[in-house]
Amino acid sequence: MSTRWYPIYQRGNPQLRVFLPNFWMKLVRPQEEQPANVVTFAVSTEMTKHDVKNYLEKIYKLPVVEVRTRIALGETKRDQTYGYVTKKDDVKYAYVTMPKTESFTFPDLFSNRAENQEKEGKSLDESKDGFRKFLDRNKKRPGTPGWYSI
Amino acid sequence: MRLTQFLTSKLKNFSNLPKEYIERSKKQVYWQTPREATHLPRTVERKRFRYTTNRSWTGQFRQQNLPGTMRRKVFVEPVEDWSFFRGDRVEVLVGKDKGKHGIVNQVIPERNWVIVEGVNWHYRRVGAEKEFPGIIIKSEAPLHVTKDIRLVDPSDLQGTEIEWRYTEEGEKVRVSMRSGRIIPIPETNNQTHDYKTQNAYIEREKDTPAAVVGEITFQPKLATFEMDIMEEMGIKEERTPAKSYWY
Amino acid sequence: MREIHSSFVRPVLMQFFDEPKHWNENEVKVGRAWRLDELRIKSNKELHQLWFILLKERNMLMTMEHECNDKMEIFPSPERIDKVKISMENLETVVRERNKAYHLLETGETGERPRREVTNAFGLRGYYKSCEHVLPAFMNTKWIKSRQLTHGGRAVHKFLLKYREKLYNAKRKSKNRSRNEVMMILRRNPNFDLSVLRRQFPDVDVDKLVNEDKTRGHYVPKVDV
Repeated sequence: MSTRWYPIYQRGNPQLRVFLPNFWMKLVRPQEEQPANVVTFAVSTEMTKHDVKNYLEKIYKLPVVEVRTRIALGETKRDQTYGYVTKKDDVKYAYVTMPKTESFTFPDLFSNRAENQEKEGKSLDESKDGFRKFLDRNKKRPGTPGWYSI
Repeated sequence: MRLTQFLTSKLKNFSNLPKEYIERSKKQVYWQTPREATHLPRTVERKRFRYTTNRSWTGQFRQQNLPGTMRRKVFVEPVEDWSFFRGDRVEVLVGKDKGKHGIVNQVIPERNWVIVEGVNWHYRRVGAEKEFPGIIIKSEAPLHVTKDIRLVDPSDLQGTEIEWRYTEEGEKVRVSMRSGRIIPIPETNNQTHDYKTQNAYIEREKDTPAAVVGEITFQPKLATFEMDIMEEMGIKEERTPAKSYWY
Repeated sequence: MREIHSSFVRPVLMQFFDEPKHWNENEVKVGRAWRLDELRIKSNKELHQLWFILLKERNMLMTMEHECNDKMEIFPSPERIDKVKISMENLETVVRERNKAYHLLETGETGERPRREVTNAFGLRGYYKSCEHVLPAFMNTKWIKSRQLTHGGRAVHKFLLKYREKLYNAKRKSKNRSRNEVMMILRRNPNFDLSVLRRQFPDVDVDKLVNEDKTRGHYVPKVDV
């Protein structure tokens, strides 16, 4: 049986312990402006507030003061090609408050990415420039073959 | 049918990507019932793909198989023993490079194709714009394994038909039909995107070192996983579960 | 004071992100997933630790993927998620194997959720996964009542007739499809090895198809002189 099987509740049974939890948590960029000590997570829909608190405190050793959750309705849309109506899964968001003294801002991950991409596209740009130069040089003597000048 | 063929085949996966990822990246699901007890598991998805030289996890493949595009079915004849591997020297039997030798550098088993380095190539113009005619690159066209190429016998460097036979040690090898010489499978076949040879693999930051992976730490014990972990963590549990019935 | 505190929580939450040096790369190279045989030789304690390492890694990858999708950037090496998933599945399989062995040794049963073959109200056979109950079956009147949802034999018979027809049609169509495939292969490759086709398409009568009109291509056959 799965190690996460929930037995039925019977008074006096041993405490339910999950040793291999399968919950996931994503740290997401807050959509609205939040106080500095609040972080937003997208979590498994089955997770409760207590689950979120325990998860962060036990696995990540993060001090948690309060957890508030909401379930966002998944987007419904019509498939452009075939016309099927599809719905994305609902997502649970957890707003986790840390102690007042803590603060966290979501990092900017892709600040240098534009530079890197510029470097990659360089070779094509260079050959474009070379071609333009070649055209400019031969503008005043039409009909001369390309090998004529250095 | 084709899957079992490749499981027994000696052909190695160059991309070294897990099978699950290849399947997942290819998938085009248009509609699906919710995976709940109230619904039967039904999926409407693309079943037939057009395989080309673009591998199935790339953006170009997705571009060629956009939703709504249907192309004629390609009938791929079954090949029982795949005999062309990366690094093999082959002779071309057709086209403008007929008679030339080349080294196989890519294998596309979905279409029974191989791409041979520097053979059967043409020019391709890329990046053309209004003001710019584009740059010219050389690209090799694929060759069909059953009709367009044959292997080269290493003893006399002449093209030959081959046969799969077993050695006295029970190993399956390719044998040249003309000279009877074994044509070994090149080492390049084991190369992947991540390493040249398995021994030369550089361990990355998040990899578990090979010595730690091979270490045997399992101790047989009369306890379930949960009981063992509880003992390890010092959790005492004296309550016994009440009787329950399964039906 | 505030400075010191904020530096405490930041490294904790930065576990949800990849290392900064990978943020702007197009490819992040990693090894392969854990295999079953490698996990089988590890102690329970190590498996337990590995599970949480994998769990954290998965959270990290999912966070990065979410942010990349949000910002319309390419998520580097998405196969990492699959590698973690495969490892976790394999780890759970190993734990389950061990628990099964313990239960078989101690009780003679696997300790798995019992299931049995049943015929449902529509006359279809399938597996019923048993559920856990506080009361034994004969005392559980609510459960007994819920079982008595039978339709008449006539309606079931009618349904099964149509259901079997559907199954038969699916089978017939797949057979036709492979028959067509064989013909098309033969048409494109007139000298194709028939024994290969016989092995690959066991439900097709290849020898009969060789003389079909559809198998012959649009060309004049060569006559040996």
